[in-house]
Amino acid sequence: MTSTDQQPFLSVRDLKVHFSTEDGVVKAVDGLSFDLAKGKTLGIVGESGSGKSVTNLTILGLHDRDRTSIDGEILLDGKELLTASERELEQLRGNKMSMIFQDALASLSPYHTIGKQIGETYRKHTGASKKEARERAIEMLRRVGIPQPDVRVDDYPHQFSGGMRQRAMIAMALVCDPELLIADEPTTALDVTVQAQIMDLLKDLQQEFGTAIIFITHDLGVIADIADDVLVMYGGRCVERGTKKEVLRAPQHPYTWGLLGSMPSLEGPVDVPLSPIPGSPPSLLNPPSGCRFHPRCTFAEKVQGGLCSTEQPLLDITDGRGSACHLTDDQRREFFADYAATRSH
Amino acid sequence: MSFSRRNFLIATGVVAASSSVLTACGGSGSDSKSKSKVPSVSGSKTQEIPVGTKADSVGPAPEVKGAVKGGTIYSLDQFDMDHLDPAQIYVSTEGAITVPILRGLTGYKIDEKGGATLVGDAATDAGTMKDGGKTWTFTLKDGVKWEDGSDVSSDDLRHTFERLFASFITEGPRYVQQWLEGGDKYKGPYDGKKLDSIEVDGKTITFHLNEARTDFNFTLAMRGYSLVNKKHDTKEKYDKKPFSCGPYKIGARSIGKSLTYVRNEHWDPKTDAIRNNYPDKYVFQFGFELLASTDRYIADKGNDQYAMSIFNEVAPERIAQVLTNAKLKQRVLTEVDTVTYYWPINMTRIKDVKVRQAINWAWPHQQLQTIRGGASTSELATTILSPVTPGYQKFDLYGVTKKPGGDAAKAKALLKEAGKVGQKLVIAYQSSDNSVKSAVAIKNALEAAGFKVVNKQVDKSTFYTQIGKVDNDFDLFAAGWSPDWPNGYSVFFPCWSGKNIGDGRSNYAQLNDPSVNKAIDAAAKITDVEAANKAWGEVDRQIMELAAVVPDYHSIRNWMHGSKVGNVTYDSGNTCVALCKLYAMK
Amino acid sequence: MSRFLIRRVFGALVILLIISAITFGLFYAIPRDPAMMSCGKNCTPDMLAQIRHNLGIDHPIPVQYWDWLKGVFVGRDYGSFGNCNAPCLGYSFANREPVLGTILDRLPTTLSLAFGAAIVFLIFGVGAGMLAAVKQGKFLDKFASSASLFGSSLQIYFVGYIAMFFFVAKLGLFAQPSYTPLSEDPVSWFSGLLLPWLTLAIIFTANYTRMTRSQLVEQLSEDYVRTARAKGLSRANVFFRFAWRGAMGPIVTVFGIDLGTLIGGAIITESTFSIQGIGRLAVDSVNKSDLPMLLGVTVLSAGAIVFFNIIVDAVYALIDPRIRLA
Repeated sequence: MTSTDQQPFLSVRDLKVHFSTEDGVVKAVDGLSFDLAKGKTLGIVGESGSGKSVTNLTILGLHDRDRTSIDGEILLDGKELLTASERELEQLRGNKMSMIFQDALASLSPYHTIGKQIGETYRKHTGASKKEARERAIEMLRRVGIPQPDVRVDDYPHQFSGGMRQRAMIAMALVCDPELLIADEPTTALDVTVQAQIMDLLKDLQQEFGTAIIFITHDLGVIADIADDVLVMYGGRCVERGTKKEVLRAPQHPYTWGLLGSMPSLEGPVDVPLSPIPGSPPSLLNPPSGCRFHPRCTFAEKVQGGLCSTEQPLLDITDGRGSACHLTDDQRREFFADYAATRSH
Repeated sequence: MSFSRRNFLIATGVVAASSSVLTACGGSGSDSKSKSKVPSVSGSKTQEIPVGTKADSVGPAPEVKGAVKGGTIYSLDQFDMDHLDPAQIYVSTEGAITVPILRGLTGYKIDEKGGATLVGDAATDAGTMKDGGKTWTFTLKDGVKWEDGSDVSSDDLRHTFERLFASFITEGPRYVQQWLEGGDKYKGPYDGKKLDSIEVDGKTITFHLNEARTDFNFTLAMRGYSLVNKKHDTKEKYDKKPFSCGPYKIGARSIGKSLTYVRNEHWDPKTDAIRNNYPDKYVFQFGFELLASTDRYIADKGNDQYAMSIFNEVAPERIAQVLTNAKLKQRVLTEVDTVTYYWPINMTRIKDVKVRQAINWAWPHQQLQTIRGGASTSELATTILSPVTPGYQKFDLYGVTKKPGGDAAKAKALLKEAGKVGQKLVIAYQSSDNSVKSAVAIKNALEAAGFKVVNKQVDKSTFYTQIGKVDNDFDLFAAGWSPDWPNGYSVFFPCWSGKNIGDGRSNYAQLNDPSVNKAIDAAAKITDVEAANKAWGEVDRQIMELAAVVPDYHSIRNWMHGSKVGNVTYDSGNTCVALCKLYAMK
Repeated sequence: MSRFLIRRVFGALVILLIISAITFGLFYAIPRDPAMMSCGKNCTPDMLAQIRHNLGIDHPIPVQYWDWLKGVFVGRDYGSFGNCNAPCLGYSFANREPVLGTILDRLPTTLSLAFGAAIVFLIFGVGAGMLAAVKQGKFLDKFASSASLFGSSLQIYFVGYIAMFFFVAKLGLFAQPSYTPLSEDPVSWFSGLLLPWLTLAIIFTANYTRMTRSQLVEQLSEDYVRTARAKGLSRANVFFRFAWRGAMGPIVTVFGIDLGTLIGGAIITESTFSIQGIGRLAVDSVNKSDLPMLLGVTVLSAGAIVFFNIIVDAVYALIDPRIRLA
């Protein structure tokens, strides 16, 4: 752990993930960098297809190696993951780093009991006996709040409710006390009460073990609840980064404004209509020229010389805070103030 | 109807269904090739079968030169026998396969050259007749025993002939039943009644017939009149496992699959002039398609070296290959069959002789032969009698030899002469691959000659019932006939005598010509074999002059066998391989 | 599980009942008089009536069917032909034997042929399909895919004769195809059936290769397979315990149907190799118009398919707990 002083626990540098398909090259992630320290939570926000899930699969090395070309580097606790062998990665997966998937029903094997699925991760990485693994599975189920864990351990996923499945998933991901946990929209499919319980659970576990968490979501409300830092992705790139407070209170990028606008607020009046971002996410096969957001951006014409459609804005980061937009600071302040006014009446 | 199962199957296209492959692929090339290399069987020697003396009837049978005892002879055949009860046996394969286990009063003694003589089998000689053939007497040899060691008794003899009248006997020949006096009212021995026209006295049996039958002893040589053990007569079930008095008995049988003969220790070779008993065992194996058996003969591996076929001939697909390869050809037994396939013309419907002659002139003999697979399996027919049947005379009234493809011009001229151009002809044929092709060829040829042809396909299970009706709607139909014993009578009386017109009878052409009837009756009474044969040949010509039928072809049989089967000879009496003459080479 | 099985067996019996009734009706509806067929050349009306009586076809068809059905449970007396003990599937007048005896005599042959071929095509078909799925898009995959396409377009009577010509006659690599009971001589049993197994398997292998490949490709992209990988399980482990488990279901289903069909008789294979199994029996019965035998064979074939369907359902339940507990 000495290395944490000099460098962050997880460091992603200029990551590019390109798939070759029959139609051409899909630039799913196109130059992404971020750091994550131990015990911290990074929220990654973006619409589907923005590259957030691909980024995380790449960290685990679960991408299709035959059809993917990858550039950049991913350092986990000082170890380069992109060049690691399959064996080395197998040792890390489920052990030092693990992942919670979005759809627990589809992501759990229908053919094996919950206990077995939790236990086999444990056995793989600790060499425990079947009996020990089962004990461990029961303990984990208890910890994530499954009632009667010694009975339910022998159930199959389809016998669990949605929330219980997600808890089981979490139990499975945490069975080896991972140092990095990637949670890919773990609460999307759940109702609000269960969602809150699961968020609490994750927070408790993080406190207990000092786990670093990457939390992927398109829900800024969830980000507000759990994240320390926020990274906004659009079209395979990072468009804005900062602490939770910075990004939510003073977002710099028109896309982030849009995201905030498409989020129902419990605090505001209920009769204010939501304003979803017009248009659809960009094609990654054939991305728009210039700023990838410009076809949907209402402020693009405010930029001098039509720069938005010709030149990609640079991501300007200072002390972990910044965005990629051609608008000047003044323009931003002005437009966001107008925008915020329409939102809060 | 003496239409062996083999013939029946070939006629219905079951067997020859694939011969079209050869035609389609080989074309005329392979045809001419096989023609040039295959020696023609035309002019095959007529199979005269003389009546032997008492000395000829004394056993043991002459040794086969070089034959050795022991070993097993196998068979590769397509079908199991439907019947083994002698009284149910009418088809040639069933007759041939039962030679080793069943004995009749008379039988055919095969000599080294494949010639046959009619001799006494269980009887001391070929019988004596009185009253010009109305009374026949046979004497049982001493020492003829059943497989349980008991003697064949006169009771068994009587029972053999009486049970022919039982209601469960449905398949066998009916000659003796019709000829025995009082037979029309007799219902069989199972209700305790006797048939008085059969007299038994010690070792002799005497038959009283209602008409003079000078060839009665030939009739008795049919397998259908082989002896049946009274004590072991199981009636319907006898068909499954008859009781043996021959050199072999049934060892095991799995119907449809296999039949095994083992030695019958109680058989005494001294009582049998007909049968040798070289192999220890015969194992008949069923379920082999023609192509499969042919390929196995060609491969000649393992037990197949000791195999022969009773039914299976060389497959049409392989015939050219086999007959043009000297080594393979050595292992083929080629015989012209006694069967003639022909197309009777319905005389009731087609009354004008010129029209019938026109059909004959126009007939596409050669095209039909090509459809069947070429010249190696059939010979074009110009007569009703087969070249191997005694009485055969070679003549060709309608130019088949000159123009084997038919002479449309000549036919047209005849039609014009008769004023019948555009004559409608309804042709009946059985449903099968080849017969459809044949029907098309016939239609084309006849229409080229000025006929208007309607082809009608008839289901094969009812074909003979339909064409056998006196009042039918067909002008021309496919049929065929193979004599039950080798003479003209067994061809001409059943099929061409006016006495045999009627529903279900076999005079399909409904020929009722006074002079032909007279000639048939006269020829039947001639006791001199040579004179009789000459007379039958004349009957043949007479019918052909009336053009009551279009003779189509005579079958040529090609049986193949393994390289270690010794003395494969033809049994002209049973028209099959002579089983009791075979031996397994060491 | 046992309730499930009982329900299925009961359903199967109903199906067999329906099939036998339909078959029965069809056979006696065709314009081919079985009495006429066995009456022979010298048929008289008296004899015909006698045979009709013996065959039991002088009754209306429903009564005949009832007699047949009764025979299955309590046996039947065929007068002078003899007795047919329960379960009596009928009496073949062509063979002069109860139908069941002949079927049981042929069954070991067909079972040997079917199971032997099944083992071969399972090993090769599934194996090749697995390889193709693992090497998706690579040469091996393309090779296996085109080979399976080629294989599935072959015909047994073609491949069979060619194989016999080369491997038996020319090269002598294989024994002449034949059937020897396993209990009699295991070596001959094996060597005699080897070529038929391989030939029959060629045709099926292709199907299993394609099916295995497509099933595996689909399963390998399932979320739970990804999860298993994310847990650190090895590729092989994930492949066999997760993806293959999921892919097995449809393969087992088709396998059950294939096996059932094969036991009903591989008619072409049996004919090509001159092996006397159920298929040949069916063909011979057709040639001989042996309707009782044909009915027996049909009921057996239907029974085999129905039976394997139950087995498939049971195996399916073992593979997939969702079905078991539903």
